[in-house]
Amino acid sequence: MELELDDDQRTLQETVRGIIAKECTPAFVRAVIEDGLDPSPWWDTMVGLYWPALAIAEDVGGLGMTWIELAILLEELGHAVDPSPYLATTTQFVPIVRRCGDAAQAARWLGGVAAGGITGALALGEHTVRATADDGGWRLDGSVAYVVDADRADEIAVVATAHDGVGVYVVERASAGAALTIDPIPVFDHTTHIAGLSLEGVVVSGDRRLGGSDLAEGIAVAVEEATLGWSVVTVGACQRILELVVDHVKQRHQFGVPIGSFQAVKHKAVDMYVAIQRARAIAQYAALTFVEDDPRRSIAVSMAKVAAGDCQEVVLRNGVQLFGGMGFTWENDLHIALRRAKLCVTMFGSTIEHRRRVARDALLGEGAA
Amino acid sequence: MKLQFPAEAEAVRAEFSAWLDANTPSVAEATVRPRSTADSPPWARRFQCAMFDAGWLLPGQPPEFGGRNASLLEQFVIEEELMRRRVYHSFNPQGLSIIAPSILMFGTPQQKATWAVPVLRGEKTAALGMSEPGAGSDLAGLRTRAVADGEGYVVNGQKVWTSGAHDSDFILAFVRTDPDVPKHKGISALIIPTATPGVTCRPFGSICSKDDHDFNEVFFDDAFVPAENLVGNLNNGWHVATGTLGEERAMLWLSNYERLDDVINNFGARVRGTELADDPLTQDWYGRLLVDAMALRLLGYQSVAKTASGHDPAEQSILKLFGSEAAHEATNRALETLGPLALDHTIDSAPYNHMNLDQFSASWFDRYCRSFAVTIAGGTSEIQRNIIAERILGLPR
Ligand SMILES: Cc1cc2nc3c(=O)[nH]c(=O)nc-3n(C[C@H](O)[C@H](O)[C@H](O)COP(=O)(O)OP(=O)(O)OC[C@H]3O[C@@H](n4cnc5c(N)ncnc54)[C@H](O)[C@@H]3O)c2cc1C
Repeated sequence: MELELDDDQRTLQETVRGIIAKECTPAFVRAVIEDGLDPSPWWDTMVGLYWPALAIAEDVGGLGMTWIELAILLEELGHAVDPSPYLATTTQFVPIVRRCGDAAQAARWLGGVAAGGITGALALGEHTVRATADDGGWRLDGSVAYVVDADRADEIAVVATAHDGVGVYVVERASAGAALTIDPIPVFDHTTHIAGLSLEGVVVSGDRRLGGSDLAEGIAVAVEEATLGWSVVTVGACQRILELVVDHVKQRHQFGVPIGSFQAVKHKAVDMYVAIQRARAIAQYAALTFVEDDPRRSIAVSMAKVAAGDCQEVVLRNGVQLFGGMGFTWENDLHIALRRAKLCVTMFGSTIEHRRRVARDALLGEGAA
Repeated sequence: MKLQFPAEAEAVRAEFSAWLDANTPSVAEATVRPRSTADSPPWARRFQCAMFDAGWLLPGQPPEFGGRNASLLEQFVIEEELMRRRVYHSFNPQGLSIIAPSILMFGTPQQKATWAVPVLRGEKTAALGMSEPGAGSDLAGLRTRAVADGEGYVVNGQKVWTSGAHDSDFILAFVRTDPDVPKHKGISALIIPTATPGVTCRPFGSICSKDDHDFNEVFFDDAFVPAENLVGNLNNGWHVATGTLGEERAMLWLSNYERLDDVINNFGARVRGTELADDPLTQDWYGRLLVDAMALRLLGYQSVAKTASGHDPAEQSILKLFGSEAAHEATNRALETLGPLALDHTIDSAPYNHMNLDQFSASWFDRYCRSFAVTIAGGTSEIQRNIIAERILGLPR
């Protein structure tokens, strides 16, 4: 196994860190939260850097890199608590189109993300949205709760069930009109957009129904990509908290010494560090299973979600504690990363669900059950 | 990044695998069991010597020391193959993995020939004399004295926990040779044959059983040790000791992985098809165990790569801490989950494997108790946390 980043990947990591440090600063993220500053200029910057194009195939205008590079970027965005639509676009919308669309649709939407910065979302309505044939197109009725970026994405890929089975319908948000209602939820992570979606006779043209083969498998794998996205972001947010804590305990003095010299403090910090190492290693492994199309992929993704979930528990508990009263303030950036990390575990399956899935696979041989 | 090892390494693994298929002793040959970590039965000694002769024993060493000048990655796949088969290449693990390599690293040509090579060829076994009643985690506080006297040293004092000492031919002992300098600077390493007049080894029982005799108290009463048995320079023993601990830790994660994998397999086999397999709480910890095992393997692989590129050995502390605590957690959960099914202390928790230590297939209670060996020996979990905090996170001492 070669599990080290290579030189190009390391360079990418350094570059991304440098750019984020300049363009997506803590002050910027705070202004988005406190003053409602519009983060779109930052998204435009990313589009200019071809970041949304990173893992999109070259034949549709992307950079053709892999999940390893995408994970490098996502971890840094988690670290910064990125307020842009990057996560849903690249780990939800892009995978569903790539895995379920035909060549023309890939060119249209993946090309659109790569070149023009089209943003996208994924609404999983297999059991709650009905699709009916409608004059050469499709009519969608139903609702989907908790859709990331539904309130701001240009295109929403809606998974729905029709007479002939499950399908994916790409809805252009701006043109859906009154048939589409979007109810943003005031989530505790102020920089992640989540909304409920109701569709009452939303009509899409025939070419907006994704036309690839084996849709059920395509949807399942796209969901795995989305799940891995959350895990990687969690690792980044946790790494940020560890860095804040380590800096703090080195400079904060009590009893005449830095509090970082107290063993109770050291050991808590080490447990945070080890939990992050564990989660990062498994997230990288899961990313590799996508790159190599390894059959362990699905379970690897659940393992990554488990390790990320375990990690944030330790990191948040110890992280706040080691700051003392400063950990309880609004002023401390810690809570911004804490919100993101906590949000990640609420999405796409809880830690316990994924842990049990991993165990059931081994004990009951249920595969993806 | 890749999930596979390079083809060169896989070729070495295949060659070794074929060798093991042809040379591993049969069950019938292996009926005599080792009774301590320095008691290697004749069949095990023959096998170890065959590995030495074929260059598989310490593959990174040159052929005269049982190796083939293998790269770190090749050494690793060889270790991994042994682990996968649960084949012990030596039933004197501290001799093979700590003492002989230390003598090869710091010893004279004559010491290598007289002590290291026989340990590697399975002709002698060795024990590690570091800890004392007053010096455990604070190893540098050791007080066993060696006073220069004519052509050698006269040793007085006591060691404790000295695994296998009563069955060993010699002890690599760390002794104080200069009491008047800061404590790290007055320690030396001596090879002390256990047959030396004035050396008494007194074995005692462990948490597992009154009759589980591996621990020893070792007393030195005016024991004379020839000067030629000084390993490394006088008062340079700390260097030898930390080199030794480094070796000890570098190989530890694989054995912790083995323990985790044992629980995965043996507990899994025990509960599959029973209602426990469908129990949400069992699934919860078992899922964590699977993730821990995978994480340990991944972090271990990464550390092999880092060691190859000369990284801080403090990285090993992460593996030791994480692996040993995960193994403790897993054995505890298995015991508790099985409930009354785990009561019978004589029962085997795994199929018998003649090339493995019997303790690893012993009762669930035995496995649980033995998991503490790894969170304590070779630097406790607390000491590992101190090392990581100071060396990796840069926190003040
Ligand atoms: C199975 C087994 C086999 C062994 N084999 C050998 C052998 O062959 N040769 C040999 O020389 N030794 C051997 N040892 C001894 C082993 O190395 C020591 O037990 C170990 O280093 C701890 O020392 P101690 O037992 O004196 O505990 P102590 O050092 O007294 O520690 C007791 C507790 O205090 C904690 N503590 C101590 N110092 C600190 C600190 N600075 N910060 C935080 N916590 C601290 C420890 O973590 C531990 O929890 C073996 C031990 C075991 C369990």
